[in-house]
Amino acid sequence: MNIRDSIRSGLITFGLILFLNLLGLPRTFGSPTIILFTVIVGLLTLLFLRDRHDRKYDLPSSLLNGAIIGIVAGLMLSLVTFIFARMQADGIQVKNVFAQIFPEHTAALTGISADDVIAGVSVLPGLIKLTGLFMIAGILGGGATRLFTERTQAYRTQLATSSAARWLVLGLPFLFYALFLSLKIEGVDIGGSDENILGLIFIFIFIASALFAIRGANSGRERIVYSIGLIILILILPQLTDLFQNAILGAVAIFIVMGIGLNIVVGYAGLLDLGYVAFFGIGAYSYALLSAPKSYFLVNLPWFGGLTFWTGLPVALLMGVAAGVLLGIPVLRMRGDYLAIVTLGFGEIIRLLMLNLRDYTGGPGGVLNVPSPIVFGADLGNPKGILYLAMLFAIVVAFLTTRLRDSRLGRAWLALREDEDVAQAMGINLVSIKLMAFASGAGFAAVAGALYAARQVNIFPDNFTLLVSIDVLSLIIIGGMGSIEGAVLGSLALIGLPEILRSVNEYRIVAYGALLIIMMILRPEGLLPSARRQRELHSEDETVESASAAD
Amino acid sequence: MALLVVKDVHTYYGKIHALKGLSLTVDEGEIVTLIGANGAGKTTTLRTISGVLKPRDGSVEFDNEDLASFRAHEIVYKGVSMVPEGRGIFSRLTVFENLDLGAYHRDDDDGIKQDFEKVYSLFPRLYERRKQVAGTLSGGEQQMLATGRALMARPRLMLMDEPSMGLAPILVESIFDTIHEINQEGTTILLVEQNAHMALQVAHRGYVLQTGEIVLHDSAESLRENEMVKKAYLGME
Ligand SMILES: Nc1ncnc2c1ncn2[C@@H]1O[C@H](COP(=O)(O)OP(=O)(O)OP(=O)(O)O)[C@@H](O)[C@H]1O
Ligand SMILES: [Mg+2]
Repeated sequence: MNIRDSIRSGLITFGLILFLNLLGLPRTFGSPTIILFTVIVGLLTLLFLRDRHDRKYDLPSSLLNGAIIGIVAGLMLSLVTFIFARMQADGIQVKNVFAQIFPEHTAALTGISADDVIAGVSVLPGLIKLTGLFMIAGILGGGATRLFTERTQAYRTQLATSSAARWLVLGLPFLFYALFLSLKIEGVDIGGSDENILGLIFIFIFIASALFAIRGANSGRERIVYSIGLIILILILPQLTDLFQNAILGAVAIFIVMGIGLNIVVGYAGLLDLGYVAFFGIGAYSYALLSAPKSYFLVNLPWFGGLTFWTGLPVALLMGVAAGVLLGIPVLRMRGDYLAIVTLGFGEIIRLLMLNLRDYTGGPGGVLNVPSPIVFGADLGNPKGILYLAMLFAIVVAFLTTRLRDSRLGRAWLALREDEDVAQAMGINLVSIKLMAFASGAGFAAVAGALYAARQVNIFPDNFTLLVSIDVLSLIIIGGMGSIEGAVLGSLALIGLPEILRSVNEYRIVAYGALLIIMMILRPEGLLPSARRQRELHSEDETVESASAAD
Repeated sequence: MALLVVKDVHTYYGKIHALKGLSLTVDEGEIVTLIGANGAGKTTTLRTISGVLKPRDGSVEFDNEDLASFRAHEIVYKGVSMVPEGRGIFSRLTVFENLDLGAYHRDDDDGIKQDFEKVYSLFPRLYERRKQVAGTLSGGEQQMLATGRALMARPRLMLMDEPSMGLAPILVESIFDTIHEINQEGTTILLVEQNAHMALQVAHRGYVLQTGEIVLHDSAESLRENEMVKKAYLGME
């Protein structure tokens, strides 16, 4: 890491922060924004420095590089803010050009009041403070890098043998579970204003750390024991959570099902599908139209009493699979970019059909009063019931996917992803394995869709926009392509967190964008990638490491 | 007994007429080589036989059966396997997984196991590296892998596209030894080569291809002595 790299990293950091500025984060949040930005600078510094592969650098140079990143980002932001402040003092309406830049925005960053900004009071002291803060954040980030690399080195060499560290990793999930439980105990106050949000955050961290613990287990048997333990704890969970928490966890679980399904298409077979929402929508509408009492579709058939959830589910599954094959056939010959565009179009076509075939689908009015699932006379049409069902689906889908992945078909998908021509020359029937990938991915999405329809009770074409496809794709990219744990983690981070942080919800797309860019640069394989993916993207590091280990 | 009969085949890439009435035969148990300069159409010939390309005219018969109506992967089932140009290994899969994909269409587990042993004994290096990602193998090892993978299909006819390309002379020699050995064990081989010198030593017969047409066809010994071959392909005046 030399100075030029640090300056460049500083500029990237500044770019991200400027982006958030132009979107109006400071004006929405007020002065806490500075804290948020400072944290971002620290984290980015950590990421930038950590991934430069140079473990030989000593502490002072890490601190120096961190300071440079912070100062560059801080100075640039100060410069821009200073210009804005001058213009605002001169009565120029900056907001006519940048819709979110008001005097309040400048005020939030500099710590003086909006009136003072307009009156032309000098913002310099505030800006110096800001730059100083960023510099400190950079230094802290740089210092943390050292901890990080030393820890990872220790991890590589010792963790496997040091039982203390291992037990810590394995024990963390239980700690977070306990923290969550303690929120339930009368009289214990952990100090959150919104207890159920705090509880959810503990649950998320609990699940995330459990995933890492499972990944860190050093034998297959240990992994199975921890997986079962995690599943049991999670099955108890809905009994302890409230309506609000269950509703959010239900959405997370439905997206996990979709993430695992899309993983087959994109992660295993390497077919970039941007219209995945189509199958989700087809599943939802298939069930809804055949079951809702005032369904526009079948209202004229007196002998047809409507399907229940359990008879509708297989129909939705079949419709999804059929749609998968139907989309698969015309795109068999397409590769890469073309495939992405055609699938994108397919997703939109399905939504437009829902919207415009009024006589059949109800058009923009949607389908109302979709019946809820009934199990042994118990109505599961409540957040807890839906959550249980969604978890059940996720477990089944995860199991099936693992079996598929380890089968010959799974191997053939990997070959397909690598080189179509050679795969064919190996005797692989490209047509059938591509269709299998599309069909199984689509089937899983359709099942998720049927459950989603039951959860929402009323569904509308607007529930099935391109945004859903983007959500699912982003969650598997960020979680880690080709890995089931990755889909869980991605869904927690991209579906669960934004639901909690309602106020940030508007910035979700921005956050996705920023997160995706950072991930692509620094950790292209995602947070919890399949072992194979990791190997693919870091085979160079590995060879270097094993070479130096051999010395 | 002719195992493969290619009759008057015309293959096109769009408007480019790449094979202009090419005919050749390969008998059971033979090694036949196809030599020619860059762009002569050697790879195109192999791709036509393996069904990846379909000829516009003419026929390809394998074991007295016209292959026209079969797709590429079905032709593999019939017993034709390929060592592609540039090896075409799956670089992100392990050595073992690559080999296993070679037997993709088979379900005789015992036979597959035997063939694994056969390949590993032919290439002990592959056994040592069976868990390694194929992309990190050396060029010579990758060639072994591509050859081993083609063997895993238990082919009757093996198509090899320039197996010596980019290898050090000493490795080239061992590749040709292996080709000989595979043939001795009963696999018929159609070998495409630019290294005419080595190819004509290991092969029984040879064809010379020029811009999509066979211009010469003879036993390997006679071709080695042929003035035109000497000049154009063996670098002798
Ligand atoms: N995909 C393609 N599209 C268009 N033309 C092609 C294509 N592949 C090959 N050709 C053309 O067909 C002719 C024969 O090519 P081929 O690859 O069979 O040559 P080759 O004998 O294998 O050469 P080399 O020794 O360089 O591998 C060449 O003129 C080439 O430019
Ligand atoms: Mg060629």
